[in-house]
Amino acid sequence: MNCSFTEKISLLIDGELSPVEAREVERHLLTCGECELLRADFLNLRSQITSFETSLQPKVQNRALKQILARRRRAAVGGLQWNFGTQALAFATLLIVAAVIGFVAYQQSNQRERKEVAVVQTPSPAPAATVEPARSPEVKESPEPVNGGTKSEPAPNKGNEEKSPRPTKRPIVREPKPGEQFAAIPDRVRSADAETMTAIHFETSERLLLAFKNVRLNEPSAAQEVSYERKRAKQLVYQNMLLKREADAAGDVQVSSLLENLEPILIDIANLPDQPDEDTVRAIRERVERKNIVGLLRVNSTALARALD
Amino acid sequence: MASEDEEFTMLFQDFYPSLCRFLECLLGGRAPLAQDLAQESFLQLHRTAWGTLPVGEARFWLYRVARNLAINEFRKSNTRYRLFDRVVEVMRPRARNPEQEYEAQERNAMVLEMLQTLPEDQRAALLLREQEQLSYREIGQVLNISESKVKVDIFRARASLRERWSKLSGLSRVVGIGN
Repeated sequence: MNCSFTEKISLLIDGELSPVEAREVERHLLTCGECELLRADFLNLRSQITSFETSLQPKVQNRALKQILARRRRAAVGGLQWNFGTQALAFATLLIVAAVIGFVAYQQSNQRERKEVAVVQTPSPAPAATVEPARSPEVKESPEPVNGGTKSEPAPNKGNEEKSPRPTKRPIVREPKPGEQFAAIPDRVRSADAETMTAIHFETSERLLLAFKNVRLNEPSAAQEVSYERKRAKQLVYQNMLLKREADAAGDVQVSSLLENLEPILIDIANLPDQPDEDTVRAIRERVERKNIVGLLRVNSTALARALD
Repeated sequence: MASEDEEFTMLFQDFYPSLCRFLECLLGGRAPLAQDLAQESFLQLHRTAWGTLPVGEARFWLYRVARNLAINEFRKSNTRYRLFDRVVEVMRPRARNPEQEYEAQERNAMVLEMLQTLPEDQRAALLLREQEQLSYREIGQVLNISESKVKVDIFRARASLRERWSKLSGLSRVVGIGN
């Protein structure tokens, strides 16, 4: 291989020469026997190498293809599962964290409410004789005609309970004067705990007002009785404020209005002197009667209790 | 997924036998290993590059990966594969008559034996040129070398094989074709 064209022979048979170079090498081959033999040997080598037969069998090829596709699908499914698992894990973690935070907050608020309920439900030495026996469920008294306007006294056992509309789940408080603020229907629902608290508060307030109504100022025990009502009213004022705030937040207009009407009365009772004069007490009583507070309290507490049942 | 599988199946059917042959010649036989590496190359193609690689590039990508896998195999012990190859060779079904089969086996064995005398880079370049008919530029892409080196490697490989075969019995007479 002393000819300078030998390397170009390799390029020639590979088609890597430009047309000009290829023509030049072809011309050289006509005159150079060594290069012509070289080209023939290179082509023979090519034939030998390309004639090599692989021992691959069709079934092996098909099996390989199936394995690749199967592995690919498994990998895809596994990837999806892993991805989904990661997302699910993150979501579950978020849910758990949110649940823990919510549970802690709920527990704290529950503890607060329990304390408040305990304050409200402290055994009251309210004179049983002065409280109406309307607490028993058998006595279906309607404390006040629902549409009765401003009648003077709640009339127990008046016999018109069948005519009075059954309170629905959401108590409908009717103001003595029609067309006032209780016409709106609440569009938000408060929690059961808040409703329970409200029902208890209404019941306690009703009991207080009834007891206050029955206080006889000309008796020797009047000062002691008023002292008790005053103390009870102080407790209820605070409770009333909290519940009104909660009702406002929940959008419960009816309960909020009732609590709003109740609040000044409770404050007046709480601010009574040790020896209140008869006119002051009478003024409070008249205001309670005029606004029909006792009847509204009873209707709403009963309705709330039924709704909670 | 179905169309991707179909495309992949077409590519596989077209190039898997060629890749097996390339690897078999590169490895000096060892057909099962060559088939495993070819399968692994296609698997890697599907896992990593399928869908992102231009269709025309997939073939070169396959040869590049296959060659790298083969180089890794060169560094490992091959005793197990030699033994297994003998068993497979015995078990291989005979589609042709015994005489044709014998001649084919002899020719394959001679080609493999001669190719094994070449350095790996020259052998890979020559195989990609002769069997796969890649251009020098494509070979350079597959082997990650320059076209100049491809040109030199292929020429040296041919010259080396020619000299060796001529020493044995004369290339033209041994092969008996091409003249």
